[in-house]
Amino acid sequence: MSTELPNIVTILESKLEGTVFAHYLRLWENVIFSLIIISILSIASYFVCRKQRLVPNRLQNIFEMFVGGIDDFVCGILGAQGRKYTPFIGTLFIYIIFMNFFGLVPFMKSSTTSWSTTLALALCVFIYVQYSAIKENGIIGYIDHMMGKPRGFLAFTVAIPLLLLFLHIVGELIKPISLSLRLRSNIWGDDILLSIMAGFGLKGIPMLFFNTFLAIIAGTVQAVVFCLLSTIYFALVLAHED
Amino acid sequence: MELLKLLSTSEIVAQVINFLLLLFILRIFLWKRILKLLDERKERISSGLKSIEDSKAEIERLKAEYETQLSSIENIARERIKEAVKEGSQVVNEIKKKAQMDAEKIIEAAKIDMKHEVARAKENLKDEIIALTMKATESLIEAKFTEENDKKLIGDFLKQVDETK
Repeated sequence: MSTELPNIVTILESKLEGTVFAHYLRLWENVIFSLIIISILSIASYFVCRKQRLVPNRLQNIFEMFVGGIDDFVCGILGAQGRKYTPFIGTLFIYIIFMNFFGLVPFMKSSTTSWSTTLALALCVFIYVQYSAIKENGIIGYIDHMMGKPRGFLAFTVAIPLLLLFLHIVGELIKPISLSLRLRSNIWGDDILLSIMAGFGLKGIPMLFFNTFLAIIAGTVQAVVFCLLSTIYFALVLAHED
Repeated sequence: MELLKLLSTSEIVAQVINFLLLLFILRIFLWKRILKLLDERKERISSGLKSIEDSKAEIERLKAEYETQLSSIENIARERIKEAVKEGSQVVNEIKKKAQMDAEKIIEAAKIDMKHEVARAKENLKDEIIALTMKATESLIEAKFTEENDKKLIGDFLKQVDETK
């Protein structure tokens, strides 16, 4: 028995049960919700930023506050060079928070309850972090960084730099897994809890509201944590003077 | 291994594409534009503040210059007043001197006039005395002389009187 609440895709799937279309709906359920969010965000950002005013209206003000906040957040950690990572981290944040909250809207689903979705995002972070590290330090510099910058006597002890390299590689590979599983599990847990509360009927309404409130906090916190950790990963590979 | 069953390669690829698509769209419509706008606004505010600071400094400079000019004007005015007072006192002295000289001249003229008057009065008095003396002599000696002889006689007498003085 599925513990998930019904959503528009599962409803449509049940209507078309037995057809090929139903099979694809089941397969691409999370992708469909992601695409809905992408459409909403794209259209909203297009209409808000189409006519920019020096004195902003209320909606532009909200977007400016968000963009300025993210920029301050990223540059606060990465310094002045953080500006080029602001769009990436900011897009991650807005995308994740919308996906997290989408499960609270009736007949919608949080795509972040799927590990594939969160792993895809974490892989994007992982690839971009590795690319930035190689770009900033060079391939030799990056390997040197991974080996713990062995100098003097330490450089002659081949085993220690190799061990450090191995540990760093494992650490780097673990990062996207831990990042994605943390987000997925928290949001999945919230959604399961909400669906259980919804299953209690009228008696469960107070708890449903309480859990919705908790899910809003958890969704925000998880999006912040994901972006904060991603920014720190960038900081770790870029700050090579330490 | 159970956990890996949760993963779907096609979904991962699709979600990566989705994210990259959103990143591309938001980079064009949101991030670039708003970050540029925020930078421009920041720049405008900082340049506005700078121009206010510059204006303040310019006002301070002009104020100092104005005060310097004002004090120099006051000094010049004070000097001019001093000069005017000096010139005035010089003029007063000159006028006084001139007036004194005029007064002395007038006094001199008056003295000369007075001398003339005195001389004239003396002449008149002399004539009157002569006339009175003649009358008196006539009446005393009751002798009649000619008027011409009388005048000569008395004149000689008076000359002798003056010379004896």
